[in-house]
Amino acid sequence: MNVHDEMSDNEVLRAASGSLSAMPMASPPDVEAIMARGRARRRRRLSAVAGLSVAAGTALALGLTGVLGSAPPGGQGTIRTAAFTLASNANGTATLTISPGELLDPAALQSDLAQYGIPAKVTTGSICTSDPAPAGFSQVVSSYPAGESTATPQNGVQPAITIDPSAMPAGTELSVGDFQLSSGEYPGQQQADFVLIDTSSYTCSSTPPDPNGLPDGYGPSDGIGLLYGGPGPAGS
Amino acid sequence: MSNQQTEFADFFRASWEPCLRAVVAVVGSPQLAEDQVAEAFARAWVSWRKVRRHPAPRAWVVRTALNTGASWWRRRCRDLPLADHDLTAPGDLGGGLDATLLTAIWRLPGRQREVIALRIFLDLDTATIARQLGIEAGTVRMHLSRGVAALRHELTPTTNMEAGQ
Repeated sequence: MNVHDEMSDNEVLRAASGSLSAMPMASPPDVEAIMARGRARRRRRLSAVAGLSVAAGTALALGLTGVLGSAPPGGQGTIRTAAFTLASNANGTATLTISPGELLDPAALQSDLAQYGIPAKVTTGSICTSDPAPAGFSQVVSSYPAGESTATPQNGVQPAITIDPSAMPAGTELSVGDFQLSSGEYPGQQQADFVLIDTSSYTCSSTPPDPNGLPDGYGPSDGIGLLYGGPGPAGS
Repeated sequence: MSNQQTEFADFFRASWEPCLRAVVAVVGSPQLAEDQVAEAFARAWVSWRKVRRHPAPRAWVVRTALNTGASWWRRRCRDLPLADHDLTAPGDLGGGLDATLLTAIWRLPGRQREVIALRIFLDLDTATIARQLGIEAGTVRMHLSRGVAALRHELTPTTNMEAGQ
């Protein structure tokens, strides 16, 4: 008699669980050690960014501002396309709202951002990032709704971001990656990620960043991920 | 300790073992898994404001742990069984273990191991596993079904012996 045919899936899984659970496991490390490891990781990243800032400062001292710095804001008014609205503000900032479900023309958005003095690399289906992440993102970009590195639509209002080109560190650009999500946690939604990149060192990837986080190498205050066109994550 | 530290410490103590066992099931080496899970918890602490609100924080830790080893992992191709040199011999892990079944688990393709580990140790349903792995629910069911079928096959000699007793 071959009884394995009678084993249900749950019985097989229980057997597998029993086998793996019988393996001796190391005791958990001290939680203080884990938190210290996390803090050390953050410090390493910050010191790497500080090094980058020193390099940028040196470049400024050498008179390379014209090469590395942002162009002065030149555009005024509001640019409206089917896919986005870009409005200039009196204080020199610009506010971008992306219309969900519309096909974004990355070249058009990149050109229009440039009109407002915002050097940017806009891509669809990919995003460019630097590792380590340039510092200063939170001074450059603010979002509505605010407060989280990942914002989701609230009360039917699509999220928008405001960009201050005067606060962009020399040698950086705003990287905008726009993705139509077909699978994962938010299938059917549109994800737009905004981070700063070091123009002298960056790579581009077609893998969308974690919708609940940011690209690798970017801390919670180093970028913004917006989800468009859906109700947001369960429980949000 | 602040409230956040206390909250994280409680989560860590309650979640270390199931997360570690899930990662061991996938990577095949307790030593490697321990380091990856410790790194994942360290990252969870750095991002605790986000992780604490995640719908499945333990799954976040497991996925981060597996991603921590991603460069190691991708070189070996996600859908291949683990190679012999990746595996810890069950005999090295102490007595009382079903070496045949452990080896069978580690011989499963990577995605099947992930799905089974998330089901067994984190008790996640199909929809949640699908969200965590970024794949369709139907694909999760397929991997689970194939993995269970392969393990059932490995259990055959044992169950036949028991049936003959």
